[in-house]
Amino acid sequence: MVKTFFIISLSILLILLLSFVLIEYYNTFYIINNIVIKVGIGIILIFITLVILRYMVLLFFSILKTTIKATEETKKTTNKKVSVIIPAYNEEKVIEKSIQSIINQTYKNIELIVVDDGSTDNTSLVVQKYTYLPFVKLYKKSNEGKAKAINYGIKRASGELIMVVDADSKLQKDAVELMAVYFEDPEIAAVAGSVFVSNQNNIITKLQALEYIEGLNMVRNGQAFLKLVNIIPGPIGMFRKKALYDVGLYDDDTFAEDCDVTLKLIAHGYKIDFESEAIAKTEAPENIFDLIKQRYRWTRGILQAIRKHKKLLWNFKDNMAASFTMWYMLFEAVFWPFMDFWVNVFILYLAITTGISLLIFYWWSLFTILDVAGALYCVLITNESLSIVFYAIFYRLFFIQFINLVKIFSTIEEWFGIKMEWGKLERKGRL
Amino acid sequence: MNLLAFLALIILIITIITLVFGIIAYFLYKAREKHKTKLAKKLIYKDVLDEVGGKYVFFE
Repeated sequence: MVKTFFIISLSILLILLLSFVLIEYYNTFYIINNIVIKVGIGIILIFITLVILRYMVLLFFSILKTTIKATEETKKTTNKKVSVIIPAYNEEKVIEKSIQSIINQTYKNIELIVVDDGSTDNTSLVVQKYTYLPFVKLYKKSNEGKAKAINYGIKRASGELIMVVDADSKLQKDAVELMAVYFEDPEIAAVAGSVFVSNQNNIITKLQALEYIEGLNMVRNGQAFLKLVNIIPGPIGMFRKKALYDVGLYDDDTFAEDCDVTLKLIAHGYKIDFESEAIAKTEAPENIFDLIKQRYRWTRGILQAIRKHKKLLWNFKDNMAASFTMWYMLFEAVFWPFMDFWVNVFILYLAITTGISLLIFYWWSLFTILDVAGALYCVLITNESLSIVFYAIFYRLFFIQFINLVKIFSTIEEWFGIKMEWGKLERKGRL
Repeated sequence: MNLLAFLALIILIITIITLVFGIIAYFLYKAREKHKTKLAKKLIYKDVLDEVGGKYVFFE
């Protein structure tokens, strides 16, 4: 109760502060006479307004979704069989915890299928320790990539529902139960769960933890109000098997198979929901190079998926939801990183040539206020530690700038079609 | 110098450092990946033998 009161009071204070900074920014715009600078600042203001609107709408939808969920009186139940598929390639360090988390689920109508995608380590040996259980199955195949490994598992699954879990992720014990009930609604084709960082042991992983709860989970909760979640995350996603077959299962022509399959489902008119309390904890990259490697693959994979489904961009008449989702993804993947970089360079130029440096403070504080407000809200609806809010200050100061820079380079490489490889991360075993 | 201007200066410096660091880190990452791929692509006699499908590998 005290925590809730504190967080709500702080949020009101932050909104007031945000308004104050915005007014100051607009005042700066009016006192500048140089036309070039005025146009530049005008573009920044339009962009800020867009971003704030996006943020506020998502936050508002997220609050609505949480409120509606809380007011639902009867607890839904289901008994549909769930086939959990774990595609694994060289995951000996982490897969055991992942398997144990599935064995310990409260939902009992379950089967576990581990597909060893041609591992060269002891992944299979680790899994074999659990094959004495009648619902645990291990399949070994030659290495063909994650998408084909998942399809291999789906074709051998007997469940009506398919759950895909990454080998480096462990589920909370009620995750399957919480997600399976959504499929009582025949329009729902897939449900995403929340992803949390398990190895919060340095500033890089702590900043990613903040990014996961705010940038990913809060956004998904907001999108779920419209039943339009745009990416079912690799660590925790559940699908209706029939819907997956309708869209032709997973494709292996992009490096973001999760994004691609979600887009295919949306393009077919299916609805996709999100369960914030179904939690998967995953191992995040612990150093800069691994972080770059991960984001490089994510960005290029998402761009490949967007390019693959580019027809949907202008398909407002037939499938407005799909077009909206595509434009949203394009904004996140391309427009926003380029704009952020351009603003930083423009403000640096201004500071050097005219001495106006206050703008950079306004730019930073606007987004930091939004980040702190978002982080506070997420802490309120999840069980994440309040201390994580503190990292919001550094989040905008260098983390997001760094991530955006990687996105820009990845976009350029994707544009020129430079060859890429999967970029497997080295596991630390800190699940 | 007032507080806001001072904070703006600090953010400005951090921004410059981040951008420079980001660019360097990215190219270091690319160099590392290139090196790794090169190492992984080293020819192994047995692999070449399997690929050729014969008993010996003949060098021209």
